[in-house]
Amino acid sequence: MLIELLLAATFLSALWVFVASDETAPKLAAWLSLVPLGLSLYMWTQFDAAGNGLLAGSEIAFETQIDWFQFGQYTLQYHVGVDGVSFPLVVLVTVLTTLAIISSWTPIDERQSQFYGLMLLIEMALLGVFTSLDFFLWFIFWEAVLIPMYFLIAVWGGPRRKYAGAKFLLYTNLGSLVMFVGLFMLVLGLGDSLTQLSLPAIAQGLQAGELSRPVFGLAGADLRAVAFLLLFLGFAVKVPVVPFHTWLPDAHVQAPSPVSVILAGVLLKMGTYALLRFNFTMLADVATSSPAAEIIAAVGVVSVIYGAMLALAQRDLKRIVAYSSISSMGYVIVGLVAFTPHGMSGATFQMVSHGLISGLLFMSVGVLYNATHTRMVGDMGGLADKMPLTAWIFVAGSFAYMGLPLMSGFVAEVLIFIGAFDSTVVAGAPVFTAIAMFGIVIVAGYLLWAMQRAIFGPFELETDYDIEPAPVHDVAPLAVLLGLIILLGIQPDLVYEAIQDAIGPVLELNSVFGGELR
Amino acid sequence: MVGLTPLSAGFSLPFVPGIGGVEVTVLFPLVTFLLILAFGRYLPFKGAYLGIVSTGVGFLVAVATVIQLATGAGIRHETLHTLVAGVEGAGVTLTFGVLIDPLSALMLTIVGLISLLVHVFSLGYMNAEGEIDLPRYYAALSLFTFSMMAFVISDNLLMSFVFFELVGLCSYLLIGFWYRKPGPASAAKKAFLVTRFGDYFFLIGVVAVLGTFGTAQFAGTESFVTMAETALESGDASGINTFGFGAQTWFTVIGLLVLGGAVGKSAQFPLHTWLPDAMEGPTPVSALIHAATMVAAGVYLIARMYGFYALSPTALSVIALVGGFTAFFAATMALVKQELKQVLAYSTISQYGYMMLALGGGGYLAAVFHLTTHAIFKALLFLGAGAIIISMHHEENMWEMGGLKDELRTTYLAFLAGSLALAGIFPFAGFWSKDEVLYETLIHALGGGSPVLFVAYALGLLAVIMTAFYTFRMVLLTFHGEPRTDAAEDPHAVSLSMKVPLVVLGVLSVVAGLLNMAVLKSVLPKDALLLERWLNGETVGGEFAEGALTAEHYHHVLTSEYGAGYTAGYGGLGEGTLALVGGVVALVLAVIPALVAWRLYGGADPDPHMTNLGSLRTLLMNNYYQDEYQVWLARGVTLPVATLANKFDQGLLDGIVDGSGGVSLFAGGRFQRLQSGVVTTYVALLALGLLVLLLVFAVTGGWL
Repeated sequence: MLIELLLAATFLSALWVFVASDETAPKLAAWLSLVPLGLSLYMWTQFDAAGNGLLAGSEIAFETQIDWFQFGQYTLQYHVGVDGVSFPLVVLVTVLTTLAIISSWTPIDERQSQFYGLMLLIEMALLGVFTSLDFFLWFIFWEAVLIPMYFLIAVWGGPRRKYAGAKFLLYTNLGSLVMFVGLFMLVLGLGDSLTQLSLPAIAQGLQAGELSRPVFGLAGADLRAVAFLLLFLGFAVKVPVVPFHTWLPDAHVQAPSPVSVILAGVLLKMGTYALLRFNFTMLADVATSSPAAEIIAAVGVVSVIYGAMLALAQRDLKRIVAYSSISSMGYVIVGLVAFTPHGMSGATFQMVSHGLISGLLFMSVGVLYNATHTRMVGDMGGLADKMPLTAWIFVAGSFAYMGLPLMSGFVAEVLIFIGAFDSTVVAGAPVFTAIAMFGIVIVAGYLLWAMQRAIFGPFELETDYDIEPAPVHDVAPLAVLLGLIILLGIQPDLVYEAIQDAIGPVLELNSVFGGELR
Repeated sequence: MVGLTPLSAGFSLPFVPGIGGVEVTVLFPLVTFLLILAFGRYLPFKGAYLGIVSTGVGFLVAVATVIQLATGAGIRHETLHTLVAGVEGAGVTLTFGVLIDPLSALMLTIVGLISLLVHVFSLGYMNAEGEIDLPRYYAALSLFTFSMMAFVISDNLLMSFVFFELVGLCSYLLIGFWYRKPGPASAAKKAFLVTRFGDYFFLIGVVAVLGTFGTAQFAGTESFVTMAETALESGDASGINTFGFGAQTWFTVIGLLVLGGAVGKSAQFPLHTWLPDAMEGPTPVSALIHAATMVAAGVYLIARMYGFYALSPTALSVIALVGGFTAFFAATMALVKQELKQVLAYSTISQYGYMMLALGGGGYLAAVFHLTTHAIFKALLFLGAGAIIISMHHEENMWEMGGLKDELRTTYLAFLAGSLALAGIFPFAGFWSKDEVLYETLIHALGGGSPVLFVAYALGLLAVIMTAFYTFRMVLLTFHGEPRTDAAEDPHAVSLSMKVPLVVLGVLSVVAGLLNMAVLKSVLPKDALLLERWLNGETVGGEFAEGALTAEHYHHVLTSEYGAGYTAGYGGLGEGTLALVGGVVALVLAVIPALVAWRLYGGADPDPHMTNLGSLRTLLMNNYYQDEYQVWLARGVTLPVATLANKFDQGLLDGIVDGSGGVSLFAGGRFQRLQSGVVTTYVALLALGLLVLLLVFAVTGGWL
């Protein structure tokens, strides 16, 4: 019942804000967003899932399963519920949305009711993505995320907002198409045995055995492999994985900062979440086969290093953070493909951690921009003097991004490294891991440089605006995020325990398919 | 002192928890950090007193811990916090815990003492000078003390890494304390980045240790150190994962990876370049962080897991060579520097080279001994330099000084004590410890160890000569002769809060050598070698010996067949005689250059003799162009590669996307009508797409 309440409350809030006046919308949206936030936190206290929601023998929390309508041989269902993988992301969505809404108060000064309505709408769609357990339902939410995001970029964005918005929409939609084809090949391949499109049914059907029916002339292992590839390509756009990442910097640079928070903080996690659910759970046999595992590991390593190198070449603070996200998402890929406890769980933890940290950085870049009206590192200096609190929180966020211990980023990355190093699935895992780890040096390089130039040194500002310390409602969300980052850095088991519990059954798949668990 | 006359077993200090809760030592500074962060502005002296109280209490607890260990309390090894609990049978568990043994208790005392004195000194150096942003200063100082103490009591390698990084953060914050000036901002960045490069290897090492052994514990039978030793001793490495390598080879690889972190933090070649720049920070910070404690973290780390290093002759040789070379290399640069703190910075690098040399040369005890004495006399020298800089109105160039000894009597005497210790003059602290470093390296070289040890030893010996020279040059230029400037004519008086730490450290610099007078081992009773007894755990219960953390045990591993296979040789002389001869040689090598320095710089108005070195001086003044080389690596190599990648990304990868997709078309105007349309258009479009897809599958799937 709680998930329905969550979705309904968010949806109704969105509608309410849409019809509210522009003057009342900002505060109203913030108040209303506390409802899903409070609900998700309450659900945390009630959370009792065990195992992985997609696999047999699990207990799904807050599950609802109702037949919806018949489509050919398939009964489409309204089927929602969460497990240890999806629930942390649900909480992340509610936390980030509230904070992003508050941080929009300063920069968003036109068409407020539509802006905040869309923010709440996107929250609803995101909650849907992470709670749906029926493919059809999941896909509707998956696509529904795109529309509000498109408008948020294309209406409230920077000078090239239309280009960036369209690129985002078309590119990720193309990804969805490819992914959709991949999944339906599997569905068709499963033949008559499959009577519903619920994700657990598909996953368990795929584990049960052969794909009996040829699709497009492919059957058995070939069909699995091709479907795996299509799914991977589809999700790779979303993550994004190099070389499918070029929509991301444009979208981030043009989007208003609070929208970037949602985009980097949660939207990218849709990609890695889906990879985990579809590629690494449903088709674990393909993911653990050679050379697929090595190729994916290499793709992850390339994303880490190449993304970091690109960030190094940027002069726009927001572009720096945007490219960093590519690098951080690369770690997730490296962790997932390892098929070890800490590798996969650490990758999932990284999704949450990076959501908080990239949210913090984008938000603080936004607060700095509100005051300076520039994001170019060369145009500013010594901001710590004029807006100390924001500047120091930006410094703290940068160190979090660099993986400073006692902050969540360190725990996530070190777990991924530990897990990836140990992988028996990826041949030469220690070498892949060691190369990926070099990302921690490059990230320090560009963030330290950016801080030295923009935050420290003598004060200077090309745009000649008078700088005043940011208002409380700009700084408070930053402080909350920083607090959460430190909390998870000291006590990661708050969410990591649940994640490990849900990842465990996925790892067993590897041994089912003949691999070896260490 | 400790251990000579065992105190009664029932002895305990009622007001400090002592060994039973030594972690509170660590928590005082943490709480102080939070308090100053929140209320620093309103606190008396901007948090200075709070810092003094918390480090003072911390120091007392550390002393109480030492006393309790000395009176027979066992070691304390306990897990306090589980960071990440691994699932049963799969995945490692990451924990924080304490390991209190003679080594960590000693180090904890050093950190507590120096931190306390630096806090007191800061009253004069920072508060009295009217610095702004003092709460930030004291908060960072407290955070540093917390992190450093937590690093010291770490019971596993992962926890060590965690606090290793955090002390790096504090170093960054404090080097950049005067961030409004470009110099400190740049130096802070450099320090963090260069040490991060070393930490990269360290982290791979941590991950490799966890992957290999499934644990990162330092102590106990389940520790990775003991597991490694057992594997080599029994020749059976079946319980551990060596990733396809031979066990000893793999241990060497791990050892060298962890060494990367130590090389960065302890400013060893080639990652030493950050330390001289770090002098941009306030001088008390230089004394605490960049001389006595944080820089020692690298050496301490190697010492902490010495049982592991003692298994690999290759790793030890590398450490010895890095150390010996750094000792020599840094000393050459110190010869020509004109700024007081720069001389001390290169001297610090050089002295840590000695400690590395000792570790590589099989002298665990010597390394810890030199770490202890160096912490005292180098903190003294830096604080002394701070007092001079204040009295000279922030002038640091020694050529602008001269003749200060009459006006700054106390500072002069204390500084002189520290200098004599640094130069290795009998009977000051540095004499004993440096000599032991050289002696240990020599006997293991003579015993048929790797020829690399001879090279490292020779470099260390050469560095003795240079050390004495630059030390006396520094003292003479600063304090002797005639004042060369108006500021030197009439220096600012040194306040009491600065004098007290100088006097305390000055006295310790004279007497600290008594801890281990190994040079005289042929004439002294065996019990007189206090530090040796301490690190052998003779005062600690039997549990300690089993914990395999004793100097004796390390020596056993070092000399065993399965370990490094070191043997001691005395070149035909007896053990005691060689020690004595070595001591005399080292003393002579120190006294002669001291006399030369006196001859050159002892006059009323000395000439800049170093200019006679010509182009060699230019090379040394420019630090062998090491900084330029690193800047070239960053700006000349990495940045162009990044820029090229960016061009490739923007031009080719993104070009393909823009060119092939309808993006430009879509955004460009032809779909203008759609573009400006309402939400429903898009929803309809998406729904239509989905419907088409479903239809395609419906037809091919044959269920319509």
